[in-house]
Amino acid sequence: MSWVNVCDETSLPQGTGVAAWVAGKAVAIFNLGKNGLFAIDNVDPASGVSLLARGLICEIAGQLCVASPLYKQHYCLKTGVCLEDSQLIASPFAIKTEQGRVFVLAKG
Amino acid sequence: MAVTKPKLMVVGNGMVGHHFIEQLCSQGLNKHFDVHVFGEEPRPAYDRVQLSKYFETNSADALMLTSAQDYADWGITLHLNTQIIAIDTKTKTLTSAQGEVYEYQRLVLSTGSFPFVPPIKGNDRAQCLVYRTIEDLEAIQASAKNSKIGVVVGGGLLGLEAANAMQQLGVKTHVVEFAPQLMPVQLNDKAGQLLCSKIEQLGVSVHTSKATTAIIDGETALHRMTFSDESYLETDMIVFSAGIRPQDALARGANIAIGERGGIVINDYCLTSALDVYAIGECALWEQMIFGLVAPGYQMARVAASHIASSVFSTTAASFKGADMSTKLKLLGVDVAAIGASRGFDNAQFVELSDNQAGIYKKLWLDESGKFLKGAVLIGDNNDYSRLLDTYLSQDEIQGSAVALLLTGAESETDLKDSSIVCSCHQVTKGDIVNAVKTGNHKMADIKSCTRAASGCGGCAPLVQKIIDHTLQAEGLDFNSGICAHFDHNRQGLYHICQVEDIHDFETLISQHGKPSADGHLYGCDICKPAAASIFASLKNHYVLDQDKGHVQLQDTNDAYLGNLQKDGSYSVVPRVAGGEITPKKLIAMGEIAQEYDLYTKITGGQRIDMFGAKLSQLPEIWRKLIDAGFETGHAYGKSLRTVKSCVGSTWCRYGVQDSVGLAIDLENRYKGLRSPHKIKFAVSGCTRECAEAQSKDIGVIASDKGWNLYVAGNGGMRPRHGDLFATDLSTAELYKYIDRILMFYIKTADKLQRTSTWMESLEGGLPYLQSIVIDDALAINAELEKQMDHIVGTYQCEWQTSLERPAFLARFNEFVNPDAAPATEFNTYKRIREQRFPALNQQEANKTGAGTIAIKDVTDEKQNVSEEVVV
Repeated sequence: MSWVNVCDETSLPQGTGVAAWVAGKAVAIFNLGKNGLFAIDNVDPASGVSLLARGLICEIAGQLCVASPLYKQHYCLKTGVCLEDSQLIASPFAIKTEQGRVFVLAKG
Repeated sequence: MAVTKPKLMVVGNGMVGHHFIEQLCSQGLNKHFDVHVFGEEPRPAYDRVQLSKYFETNSADALMLTSAQDYADWGITLHLNTQIIAIDTKTKTLTSAQGEVYEYQRLVLSTGSFPFVPPIKGNDRAQCLVYRTIEDLEAIQASAKNSKIGVVVGGGLLGLEAANAMQQLGVKTHVVEFAPQLMPVQLNDKAGQLLCSKIEQLGVSVHTSKATTAIIDGETALHRMTFSDESYLETDMIVFSAGIRPQDALARGANIAIGERGGIVINDYCLTSALDVYAIGECALWEQMIFGLVAPGYQMARVAASHIASSVFSTTAASFKGADMSTKLKLLGVDVAAIGASRGFDNAQFVELSDNQAGIYKKLWLDESGKFLKGAVLIGDNNDYSRLLDTYLSQDEIQGSAVALLLTGAESETDLKDSSIVCSCHQVTKGDIVNAVKTGNHKMADIKSCTRAASGCGGCAPLVQKIIDHTLQAEGLDFNSGICAHFDHNRQGLYHICQVEDIHDFETLISQHGKPSADGHLYGCDICKPAAASIFASLKNHYVLDQDKGHVQLQDTNDAYLGNLQKDGSYSVVPRVAGGEITPKKLIAMGEIAQEYDLYTKITGGQRIDMFGAKLSQLPEIWRKLIDAGFETGHAYGKSLRTVKSCVGSTWCRYGVQDSVGLAIDLENRYKGLRSPHKIKFAVSGCTRECAEAQSKDIGVIASDKGWNLYVAGNGGMRPRHGDLFATDLSTAELYKYIDRILMFYIKTADKLQRTSTWMESLEGGLPYLQSIVIDDALAINAELEKQMDHIVGTYQCEWQTSLERPAFLARFNEFVNPDAAPATEFNTYKRIREQRFPALNQQEANKTGAGTIAIKDVTDEKQNVSEEVVV
């Protein structure tokens, strides 16, 4: 396991997501400003399509999540668990910034 | 031994007869009597007041007041299709046309009335009809199919209703009235004249002072009606609506006392001259008067039920003391109201307001002292009705000058006293409604079922809604009309806030008017954010993906990337092809682009071309090429104007009467880019053959030989709805003016993701209300609506053009922020079918059940196996 530098902080517009390659896996990264950065699997477990980074950021009953653009399931940004169906998980990734550079912890 | 219950027979199952049954049951009298109800018609009671609604849905369902099941549940025997032909008051029995004999201990006659057909030679010819029952409507509808011109004989209240029905069926409608004015019973001459000119503006021709002498064969139409002044009118169908006559034949045959000019004579308890026989409604004559409105009939029903109850429960019976004949209605979309002595009387004082510009006429009649309101007539503006009726019924002394009563502006529910009658059909007071709201009935439907307010003629519905809202507000009750957990406002409320406070960013909106989460988050959700984005765009028309204003993060799936997301994560691309007209050169350019990117192409229902399978990162280059070839965005991704479909029109078509393509292109260019609560579709047909299917669109335009007919709120899709005919024979300038106002009013008032069809159905007052706003400027907002539309039109931008002009912005369309780190093995799988590219199902898709798993069939070559290719 290693930290992968994916981009600079300036490449992450606030309030939206971007997708990044992390050791061969597509990861969705969300910049929530003062609430920090979040990273989860970019593949929507409900459809198998790699696009969660393109979803809308939501706050549902206090939980920060992303709504899948395809069929609108909500995935918790912290845990990756789907609010509508806890069987579906877009697994979370550890993420950090150092000197303006963004790192995601690769898996496996 | 079982005790036999006394028998109570009710002859007639119209509105009044049914109301009587409801009164019986509400007092539990159905347990004390063996109740039988006889109706001649094939169905139980329905709403005759709003009969022309039948044509809106082409079904009687919307009109039904009850069902056979209701009667069964109440333990009442309902005999439909059963005419009673004789009463024997000595043996107390009834005989039906089928020969059955029924005993009664009590009998209620609610036989209603029948349409009066003047004794004119030829009145029994084909397509000469009346207007009272659903069967009559079916006959009118059948005749209208082969009629171009129709005549309604009678310019009274019912006649104008019938004219409305006839016009809705697309027949050129004439009204022929014997008196020198319309509605001679209720209106004075000036009011009659104004009503006449308003109705003529709506395309109905009015002929007053015409006595029909005969109906004979016509030369250009089926009939010719000849008049006493030697003039004539040719027509294909005639509907007689020259008044009603009490249906008293049954009582007459039983020697029950009848008035000189008809009507079953009743006393204050609605009892007739025969023992234990009551008469109620339009068949009854009380103090030489027949009451041809539903409200007095309901009062009689209550009196008769109370008299029967008094014998069972030893209570005091109520008595009938006459009834107020005041009425308020919309005739062909024109507001008309008459209160009390609406035509004046000797020695009366009066105040009169005549506003030719606004098309409003009001006159109040006062007693000799000028202190008490005795009558009123209102044309073109009914807003003062409830307050004036209240002043009239209470006979409170008028404070100050009577003219003030005319100038106080729109009525407000706060002007009414608790004892004021709001619903005159069911005698429901403001206090009744307020109490019902306070005991937990917060919705219109609840109020209708527990107080019955607004369930008669429906005219008071907007006022009832205001009282509900006001009471909820006063009680501080949360009626939770909020669009999501973050806002207590509905879309209309948010729109209003953003407009009035000039808010055009989400953070201000949610922090000042929303409900942040416990942790203080201001993110909102996928319901409120796209709704806010749509509202900002409707008001300001800023670039939807603006990062600085924070608009980009509010957009829903498709708007967010200015493309239509498909199931495999790719996008489809739809350039605008206004009116469906495209040059061969542009068609070739589009084809070349589609070929270059291997896009699956399909012609859409909106007469343009959809190109599927573009990767996110390909969108900017594809659009660069399309824009260079002269295209612009088609807004297929937005909740906005999609297309204006058109037929070929008069430029090529042998039958076209107007240039439908030209108009469609102009309309599309005017309204393109307009963000709205939901998508909007238009169509323009160049003649009445309606090849563009305009009546199934949000806005439909059909050419007539005099101009354009405008239809609104049609829909195809899951719940098809025919558009309502909004106005006829409009000039092109008028057409734009009306469409501007209608669309902006829709944008201002609709709910989130509410199409115009459901919006229209939920709009209190419906089509006539919308007409009063758009045509008569009843809310005085047309200038504002037009200004807003001009702003939108003036600030139009092709969003792809704007995007391509900002290179920094295009980063958004990179699939990955670090594309260089992509694994070498990334690929999407496609199938090639009928020489085009389709997404192959992935494992998740394949596991799902339903239509998604049905194999796509290659119809071009059955033998060829579906080839799979791997696109890297």
